[in-house]
Amino acid sequence: MISPAGLARRAAPVLACIGLLAMWQAASLALKNDSFPTAIEAIRAIPDILGDKESLINILASLRRMAIGFGIAVSVSIPLGLLMGRSRAVAAFFNPLLMVIYPVPKAALMPIIMLWLGVGDVTKTLVIFLGVSLPVIYHSFEGAKAVEEKMLWSGAAMGLSPAQRLVRIVLPAALPEILTGCRTGLVLALITMITSEMIARQSGAGNILFNALDMGQYDTVFAMIIIVGAMGICLDAIFERVRARLVRWSEPQFDMPLSFS
Amino acid sequence: MKVVPSRSSEWVRPVTPQKPASAIIEIESVSQVFQTSARKDHVALSDISLAIDEGAFVSILGPSGCGKSTLLYVVGGFVSPTSGSAKIRGRTIMGPGPDRGPVFQEFALFPWKTVLGNVMYGPRQQGVRTTEAEAQSRALIEMVGLKGYENFYPKELSGGMKQRVALARTLAYHPEVLLMDEPFGALDAHTRTRLQNDLLNIWERDRKTVLFVTHSVDEAVFLSDKVVMMSKSPGRIREVIDIDLPRPRRRSELLLDPRYQKYVVDIERMFDETDPVGSPS
Ligand SMILES: Nc1ncnc2c1ncn2[C@@H]1O[C@H](COP(=O)(O)OP(=O)(O)OP(=O)(O)O)[C@@H](O)[C@H]1O
Ligand SMILES: [Mg+2]
Repeated sequence: MISPAGLARRAAPVLACIGLLAMWQAASLALKNDSFPTAIEAIRAIPDILGDKESLINILASLRRMAIGFGIAVSVSIPLGLLMGRSRAVAAFFNPLLMVIYPVPKAALMPIIMLWLGVGDVTKTLVIFLGVSLPVIYHSFEGAKAVEEKMLWSGAAMGLSPAQRLVRIVLPAALPEILTGCRTGLVLALITMITSEMIARQSGAGNILFNALDMGQYDTVFAMIIIVGAMGICLDAIFERVRARLVRWSEPQFDMPLSFS
Repeated sequence: MKVVPSRSSEWVRPVTPQKPASAIIEIESVSQVFQTSARKDHVALSDISLAIDEGAFVSILGPSGCGKSTLLYVVGGFVSPTSGSAKIRGRTIMGPGPDRGPVFQEFALFPWKTVLGNVMYGPRQQGVRTTEAEAQSRALIEMVGLKGYENFYPKELSGGMKQRVALARTLAYHPEVLLMDEPFGALDAHTRTRLQNDLLNIWERDRKTVLFVTHSVDEAVFLSDKVVMMSKSPGRIREVIDIDLPRPRRRSELLLDPRYQKYVVDIERMFDETDPVGSPS
């Protein structure tokens, strides 16, 4: 049995989407602008894109780069962040470096990276990697720093070595915070994925979008925006499910304020 | 070491089981100075010397902030003293080890582990087989009165329940020396009494060495062989009082025992002198 309040909570995102589409439809009908197709026209173009083999290969290539970039970023950033949180020396070494990289838009680095590594997968994956790394490092760092000292002492008294304490106490204790960082990282991965394909036009979802723009196929442009948006919402929802399962032991203070699921 | 004549000489000492009188822990002129932002060089411990016999139950009593926890951390090897040293069986304590089991004032349970997972953690780390560790841990959980809560997470427990899990978790890996920091401080009177009895039973059976920090005078007298009175600013040992009461101790008998009552009254008076009400801290 779902309570009325629960039902409302579940229906809310759907209603919000419908509302948004209705406003779009109305605005587009009112403006009658060629470069602003109606919502219905855009939605009608979606099956064409998803039915086209070429487009599908492009989208899948995008997702693959995103998965690889995200995966490598997470597996490097979590250990680094945890080490920084527990060792003053490591933090002192990496902090200035990260502070310089942090405010630079990762896409702005792309021309340089392209110069070195070309316009292929490596460049785009590297940009995604850079985009994801910083929030994951930051949250892992904060999470590791906040681990209660007595918890580590308890582990030490049981005979855990410093390395074991990092993996078996700091990592799980900081997990809620780490996953918050990963979630931000996931959204950033999607953004940098599209941006990188916009700059290095060769393949990918971003490439379809901007090619259509060049050719004035505005319904395809908007259809791609819907597809990318939907991908973001789905990925985030799946991630949120996984996250909630992994940290059901944690205090509610770690709960996310914003969620699409 | 400042040895104060035992007050027990006033009473005829009943025959109690003799225990080996060799010191397992020796604290030798330990001082601990903290650099704080507000007060420069705060002396938390000043020249503390104390020997703890193997199998003895020793309580540390003193006003809040006199350095009881700090002293326990030094013995645990969690902090190294500014000067002086602590030894276990003649070896200088350089760090934590499974021979000394802490029960912290703040519980410090692993929140991602269930009650059972927390209690099993130590034995598993020590290489005990899972089935065996689980059986032992379940027995301990039952002993601390948490049967039925094995699969609860710490966030689902009350403060007193967490404290009991913390006790079981430390007992589970059989440390030679228990370092207990106000383990019953957060409990209601009834549970507190029950756990005091349980702790005494365990202690009378295993004769583990216990270093027990408490605020409560009657808890200290009821449990201990020796009560170490501390005073604060700087933290010093004021007096060491031997508690010569027969064992096994039964609470119902002890409360009516005039010797017990005299210890409590004497120590309470001493406590008042150490930490007069309204004194600046
Ligand atoms: N890490 C630290 N840095 C600075 N000062 C500290 C630190 N730890 C303890 N102190 C100071 O040392 C003194 C003794 O602290 P401690 O925690 O040992 O007291 P306590 O006797 O256990 O008190 P309570 O009974 O309230 O637990 C206090 O005045 C405290 O402010
Ligand atoms: Mg304390």
